[in-house]
Amino acid sequence: MSAFEPSVEAMIKLWHGIDPPNDPARRLAAELEQTIAAFEALRGTLAFEDEPSGFEVALQATKEPA
Amino acid sequence: MNRLANLSLIGAADAVRKQEATSRELLHACWKNLDAVNPQVNAVIWQDREAGERAAEVADKAVKAGRRVGPLHGVPMMHKDMYYDVGRLSTCGSALRREHRPSITATVVERLSAAGAYTFGGLNMAEFAQNPTGHNKTFGDCHNPWNLPYVTGGSSSGSGASVAARFNYMALGSDTGGSIRIPASACGVTGLKPTQTRVSRHGVMPLSFSLDNVGPLARTARDCARVLTVIAGHDPKDPTSSREPVPGSYETFMDNDLRGQRIGVPTNVFFDDADEAVVAAVDAALEVLKARGATIIRLHLPVMDAVAAYGGIISRAEAAPIHAQWMRSDPQAYGAHISGRMYPGYAIPAAYYIEALSCRGPVLKAFAAEVFSQVDVLATPTIRTCLPTLAETDIDHGPPGTEHRFMALSANTRPFNYLGLPAISVPCGFDPNGCPIGLQIAGRPFAEGRILKIAGAYQMDTKFHWARPAIVDQTGAEA
Repeated sequence: MSAFEPSVEAMIKLWHGIDPPNDPARRLAAELEQTIAAFEALRGTLAFEDEPSGFEVALQATKEPA
Repeated sequence: MNRLANLSLIGAADAVRKQEATSRELLHACWKNLDAVNPQVNAVIWQDREAGERAAEVADKAVKAGRRVGPLHGVPMMHKDMYYDVGRLSTCGSALRREHRPSITATVVERLSAAGAYTFGGLNMAEFAQNPTGHNKTFGDCHNPWNLPYVTGGSSSGSGASVAARFNYMALGSDTGGSIRIPASACGVTGLKPTQTRVSRHGVMPLSFSLDNVGPLARTARDCARVLTVIAGHDPKDPTSSREPVPGSYETFMDNDLRGQRIGVPTNVFFDDADEAVVAAVDAALEVLKARGATIIRLHLPVMDAVAAYGGIISRAEAAPIHAQWMRSDPQAYGAHISGRMYPGYAIPAAYYIEALSCRGPVLKAFAAEVFSQVDVLATPTIRTCLPTLAETDIDHGPPGTEHRFMALSANTRPFNYLGLPAISVPCGFDPNGCPIGLQIAGRPFAEGRILKIAGAYQMDTKFHWARPAIVDQTGAEA
């Protein structure tokens, strides 16, 4: 077990009062390291929406021309 | 063969309207197959036959009296057990809601009812719509009617299995990461996930507010078109539902002429580690579309890393608070794979979640600008691999690593949830184990008409959607 797993478990316990319910939970929590890596890889590649337009606006903007 | 139970949804509605069959006869035809097959597939978890009989009687009287009837008049149905209907059971597939009787009715249920349909039971599903396989700790696993040890796909497991096994003409499913399209593919039926916001979610059990969708599983694309026409459109009770106008009828798009249609086939992601039988079935399907006049274009899809990373956290982050109290008080009431998958959601930082939501529009715009300038739709396998068995994907009792086989089932469907695009799965062949293979067709936002048109044209030239599992004919009563 890396240092990552106990820190995740402690954080979930502290913030939410929830214990890991089973071994799959521990294994899948450990895979959050991959989520962090995926987010790291995206840094600087995409700009946030700079106004609170919402996803519906993007759906409308990309729909088929009438 | 049980002729009436084998009809399509539209065939059943037409039969009632033309007085070629009564609604009661349709209902009893479904029951014959249900009684014979359900003990093995476990698609139906509760029934209310008295209510079914009453509704059928009312429907038949209306026809006999010559009243004007709706487009689904007299068609009996069952839905994934998470569509609320005042006072009726809605278990959400969980022990935690075994006796749940909601105080509201889902807008989609009201709209189907206004179109003349009625329900007579509730369908098995993944607990709280949270697995792609059909495992269920409380109500028992749902089994694939084509080959019983194999998964039905999920989370709308009973929806796929009941339509395939010919005791249901149409079932609503829900799709947050593929939960309509995966069981449609695995069970050999047609399943449509509409554009995000196209259909109201009022009165539907929430899993992930940003990604949840409501849609039909039925025999044919035309059946799905009819249902979408009935259920689509803005609902004041669901402020997130779109005000985009709904066509008068999605069936009018289905002219079977594919000349000029540009069909894109991704060269990245969607065929990674795909099984040979799946690739062969999809290639054969593309040839059918080509013969109808479509142009096939191979292309590289942009921003797929962002789609995977961002799409991967939204449902986990949004499911976490919904289930927090039960995760504290009664975590063992969930299947281990359900609570196990939800648990990491509590560690996802708010900043990551907001980033994933904030980038969703820009990612869609970047994707659409590059992809839809080259093609009109995308075609992919719905599931990349041959179907696994229930045992091979049983996280609760299997060895470490089982979760990866489990998650692979939704690899090709999840991207279209983050992108919010409409997508349909149609049957296009069988794997070496006799389990169905599905072709997924995805289009621009609100292009349901176009993907239905292409799916419908494909079904004009193929018969996979009419194939019946052997178990239906081996055990189904003669009608």
